[in-house]
Amino acid sequence: MVEKKQLGFYLDISACIGCKACQTACKDKNDLPVDINWRTVIEYNGGSWEFENDNLVPVNVYTYHLTVSCQHCENPPCLPVCPTTAIRKGDDGVVLVDPAKCMGCQYCSWACPYGAPQFGGRGEPMSKCDMCADLRAIDKNPACVDACPLRALDWGEMTDLRAKHGNVTAVDPLPDGNLTNPSMILTPHKHTQALSNGVGHSASLPESNPKAKNAIGANIIKEAR
Amino acid sequence: MNKILNIIKGIFSVPPQSQAAHRLLRPADGKWIPVVCWHDCGGRCALKALVVDNRVIRLKGDDTHDDTPDFPQQRACVRGRSQRMQVFAPDRLKYPMRRKHWVPGGGDKSLRGNDEWVRISWNEALDIIVSELKRVKENFGNESIYCRGGEVKRTLNLFGGCVDSWMTDSLGSWMGSGKRIGLYNRKEGNKFEPYTSIGDRIDLRNSELVIMWGVNPAWSSPGSPTYHFLQVKKAGAKFIFIDPFYSSSAALLADDWFPVRPGTDHALVLGLMHTLLLEDNPATNPLIDWDFLNRCTVGFDAKHMPDGVDAAENFQDYLLGKKDDKPKSAEWASEICGIPADRIKQLAREIGSTKKVALLASWSPARINNADSWPQAFMTLGCMTGHIGQSGRMTGTSTHIASGNGGPPLVYAGDRGLVEIPNPIGAGANYVGGRPNGGVCIPGNQLWSAILNGEYLASKNKKQKVDIRLMYHAGETNMLASREGQKKGLEAVKKLEFMVCHSQFLNTTAQYSDVVLPITSQWERDGLLQDDGNRETIFLGSKAVEPLYESKDDMWIAREIGARLGLDTNLIESATLPQQIYNSVSGAMVITDDGKNYEPLVNIIEEDIKNMGAVGTPQTGRISYKELKEKGIYQIPRSPNDNFRHIPLEKFRIDPEKYPVSTRSGKLEIHCNELAEFVAECGWSDIKPIAEYITPTEGYEASFANWQTKTKGEYPLQFYSVHYLRRAGTTYNNVSWLREAWTQDFFINIVDAKQRGIKHGDTIKAYSKHGAVIRRAHVTSRIRPGVTCMGGGAWTEMDDKLGVDKAGNANMLTGDITTGQGTSGWNSCLLEVAKFHKQLIPDHKWPARILFKKDKHG
Repeated sequence: MVEKKQLGFYLDISACIGCKACQTACKDKNDLPVDINWRTVIEYNGGSWEFENDNLVPVNVYTYHLTVSCQHCENPPCLPVCPTTAIRKGDDGVVLVDPAKCMGCQYCSWACPYGAPQFGGRGEPMSKCDMCADLRAIDKNPACVDACPLRALDWGEMTDLRAKHGNVTAVDPLPDGNLTNPSMILTPHKHTQALSNGVGHSASLPESNPKAKNAIGANIIKEAR
Repeated sequence: MNKILNIIKGIFSVPPQSQAAHRLLRPADGKWIPVVCWHDCGGRCALKALVVDNRVIRLKGDDTHDDTPDFPQQRACVRGRSQRMQVFAPDRLKYPMRRKHWVPGGGDKSLRGNDEWVRISWNEALDIIVSELKRVKENFGNESIYCRGGEVKRTLNLFGGCVDSWMTDSLGSWMGSGKRIGLYNRKEGNKFEPYTSIGDRIDLRNSELVIMWGVNPAWSSPGSPTYHFLQVKKAGAKFIFIDPFYSSSAALLADDWFPVRPGTDHALVLGLMHTLLLEDNPATNPLIDWDFLNRCTVGFDAKHMPDGVDAAENFQDYLLGKKDDKPKSAEWASEICGIPADRIKQLAREIGSTKKVALLASWSPARINNADSWPQAFMTLGCMTGHIGQSGRMTGTSTHIASGNGGPPLVYAGDRGLVEIPNPIGAGANYVGGRPNGGVCIPGNQLWSAILNGEYLASKNKKQKVDIRLMYHAGETNMLASREGQKKGLEAVKKLEFMVCHSQFLNTTAQYSDVVLPITSQWERDGLLQDDGNRETIFLGSKAVEPLYESKDDMWIAREIGARLGLDTNLIESATLPQQIYNSVSGAMVITDDGKNYEPLVNIIEEDIKNMGAVGTPQTGRISYKELKEKGIYQIPRSPNDNFRHIPLEKFRIDPEKYPVSTRSGKLEIHCNELAEFVAECGWSDIKPIAEYITPTEGYEASFANWQTKTKGEYPLQFYSVHYLRRAGTTYNNVSWLREAWTQDFFINIVDAKQRGIKHGDTIKAYSKHGAVIRRAHVTSRIRPGVTCMGGGAWTEMDDKLGVDKAGNANMLTGDITTGQGTSGWNSCLLEVAKFHKQLIPDHKWPARILFKKDKHG
């Protein structure tokens, strides 16, 4: 039996410096205005400062960054909630929104634990990462992958990515991978916290309206402390 | 109502090329043009612009060759990737304009920064500028005209000259101290001179331990350097970070972190050296390289002093406290720098006992008041441990174009070939270690007080009268944002009779000007061959689009003003742009494969010269002009076995007599009279010839009302500013994507925030004795308690009622304090922070400073 094709991303968290070149290359390639981000970067950190004699010293202070886009999940929760069947999985496993069918109701955005589908305003369809289908069609990489100054991002067939990089699909502060089977393989940072162990916190401040549900990553960026 | 800007509300949320309009521009109709990213960030990266109908609709990065760690693509950072949002920003200045209530002589000067703008024609703008130049010259002389840089400076020099200013820039005290003690740290006009005393990136991989002293390439040297450091890590090196901030580079590389207080690096390094001295035993515990000290340096101990110097002035005795009864021990250092004494000792042992160590410092610790001896102290650590002049062993600055990659250029451009026009008054172009060689040239951090008070200190006991009436900003155009003591700057510019600015945007300096001229970006004209990035690359940017709106090139303006002043315009533009480009291309040289010589880079045929519109002769070279023009980049492939390895001071180490360094003694000077004399001659404060610790002005010690009882004073927190990905210098500040991606937040530690009832994301007011800002607090464990930080270079947005800058320009908090060699003290500043009652709107929601509705164009 031929396994169904599923494309996905790979991120080496240990090499990501949170510079947002990927986020911006994505905006450039897809011509996205502010407040619409198909890819965003999360800063996660933790640790404390405690007195040792007269000195305040750092105790396990750490930080790491991760870049997040649509995870092109194997079980995408955005898909069944769409009332107009505008969302489908393509033959390559990439999750797609049909702008002609979409009426911008935002159900998908609420269903997605990554906050990936982006609402462009009244009358606009939802939009999100399609792994740069146009670039892939001419044998190029998605824009974010080629933009990474640390070469921390890659993409490919999930079977290949798993063979090369393992099976980690979630670390704090991402949602549990079992929820949606995201098509994203991660190499942890040495300080990567196990899923939801509650030690660290997301330091990224919501860049748009803090209450905006549809900002990508907004539901990942929990109010810190 | 905000009268300043005639803002069209709400337009900011729609990008200049809105989705709808943009869909009409199809990528398939476009052409990829190699363009430059021209900002002064220290990097140079490859970008190509997809141009459709005089619009850039997309960028892409370096695809000229396959990507490997040894031969990497020159990938642009978040700023380069945003650049079309800068060139096509909605707030691009479209027309020449004048402050509404300006009249010859100034009119109501208090309105500067708050007046309305009136669109005027180029003729009117140029006529105003020319009549003001004439009026000021006639009444007060050329000494009342100020200009720093830009093509128009050529015109003003021909006009009789103008007052200039100088500063230590980002280098801090490395500017004047580095070369005098024996360490290169910047180019001084000689293209072959290495920029720094550290090795190249491939030799760095031989280091076993890398000390990153304030070095954070992830923020301050984007492009390739951080990736190069990652290769060093992969090759097995251990990384130790010494930094008040657990930086993003630390997150990538750090095995250990020493959160030093800003401005106390000198104390820490003394504590390290004292430990080495105390614990060293050549037989059983060798930590000090006595052979290196004895052969290659002067001044360490009484037996190795420079000629004619009293042996009692040696450094070792100072370290041991023989004269002042204060040994500069780890315990002594700990109280100042905040690192526990046992950790200082541990670090000293590690540096002393590891075979191959790279001691890398950024310029940041040198950007404080009273940092003049810090580079020497840092060098002395390198000398003691002998980590100099061998593979994997180096001591020096890792910054700007030479971040993690030192050495002479492997490829460089030819001179553009403009006839030099000297300035009869200021000697700004003639720098000697930062300070000008005479002339009326104002120290940067006295610029505002010189305007307000009519004098500045030119050198020891020599006050220079100065009466600035007219400021022309055409080169470094946003100095009102970039100089310390900005509050005083805002006062000073309101005293002037006339201020004119070339700009693409209403940045801070343009905002406070009387006449603003819209200028082209480098995407709107062909570029010269650029070699001001890393040593392996050279770039040739092409014109991507026609000039936007009514913007003009700087040189066109320089000519037009020259013509109106009756000057020789053919001397002002002594070579046309095509000719300058030809000169830079034909004179470009590339290193030969054996690493010993340079040969011409570009193969030029008759047809190329004709197409360029230049005069010249064909030549043979390594790459055809056609290919260079198409690719926009030439990069030297590197490999671990090539001949381009750079190990600075290698020959010097072997035979210092035969291969001396640039000091008086020819050796690395731990005792350096030349440096002490230089600082004394500057006239602000004195230093010793050895690296004695000097308490910084507005440093940690000054944050106490009583040091003995450790009672804090009115401004208990330290503050410093960093190079931040939102901007390069002060440019890019208006770019919407960057405003969104890199918010101008105020970093404060969790402990300090808690004490003040401040939560992550709260709006805060930070205030020093010099000024105040309002910003959003980024509460984090990543910064040391007692220390606060912000990115430098924001474009001031004054709330005059509250007297605060809502945009968060770091220089609203700093003072214009002058010490030592005139070092800019951006990183020695004290302040207090309090929760602010109102919430700030996120920067990317602020209305753009759009002044006039665009007419037909674009």
